[in-house]
Amino acid sequence: MKRWTTKREHQIYSSKLFQALCRSRRTSSSTSAKELHQTADRVLAITAKGTTRWSRAILAAPLTAGTNMKKHKKAKVTVHTRLRKPVVNREKRKLPVVERKLRALRRLVPGCRKLSCNNLLEETSDYIAALEMQVRAMTAITEFLSRGEAQAPTDRLGSIGNM
Amino acid sequence: MSGRRSRSKQSSVSSITDNQITDLVSKLQHLIPELRRRRFDKVSTSKVLQETCNYIRSLHREVEDLSDRLSQLLASTDGDSDQAAIIRSLLMQ
Repeated sequence: MKRWTTKREHQIYSSKLFQALCRSRRTSSSTSAKELHQTADRVLAITAKGTTRWSRAILAAPLTAGTNMKKHKKAKVTVHTRLRKPVVNREKRKLPVVERKLRALRRLVPGCRKLSCNNLLEETSDYIAALEMQVRAMTAITEFLSRGEAQAPTDRLGSIGNM
Repeated sequence: MSGRRSRSKQSSVSSITDNQITDLVSKLQHLIPELRRRRFDKVSTSKVLQETCNYIRSLHREVEDLSDRLSQLLASTDGDSDQAAIIRSLLMQ
C-alpha cells in the first residue's frame, strides 16, 4: 500500500499511462473518455504487479465500450410479505446496516464481491491508495498537455519543476 | 479467545468478529480524508464504511472527469512531436 505514495511509482504510472494513450491514439482516430478511463485503470492494475485482487480483476475484465460498473445490477426480487413471518422481515431490515455498507463497498472495489470482510478491507485500502495516485498522475499529465498548448515546444522543457 | 459469538447474528457472511471489523475499520478510517480529522472521536463502523464508499465513488468521478479532459486534450494536441518531452518531464516530477 505504501508504494502508491512513492514518487517513483507515480512517475512510472504517469509515463506508462501517457505512452499507452499515445499508442491508442495512433491506432484509433479518437479516444473516448470511457476508453481512456479504461486504459488508465488497466495501466494502474498493471502497475500493481498482480499482487492484489482488484488489479487482477481489472485486467481479467473484458474490454467493453459500455459501462463496466453497472453490469451486475440485479432486479429487485419482491417477496410476498404475507407469506413471511413479520419477525423475519424485521430481522432482515435491522440486520444489515454494516452488512449493507459492506455490500456496497464490495460492489465498488473490483473483483471483491465474494471476499471476506478481512480481505475486503485490505483490498479497499490498497485500492483507495492506488486511486489517489491515479488522480495525481492524470492531473499531472493533463497539466503538462494543457501547458503545452499555451506554450511553444521549446519553452516546455524549461517550465518543468514547478510541480 | 472465542470470538464467534456474533456468528449467530450474521446470516450471509459468517465468522466475522466484531473485534476484527472494528480493528480493520479503524485502519480504513486513516485513509479517508473526511474522517482523518476526527481521528480521536469514535466514528461508528457504518459511518466509516459509508464514507469509504463515498470516497471511492468521488475518486471514480474524479478519474472520469480527468479522462474526459484528457481525451479532449489528446484530440486537440499534436502529441507525437512532444511525446518525448512530456515523458521526460513526467519522469522528472
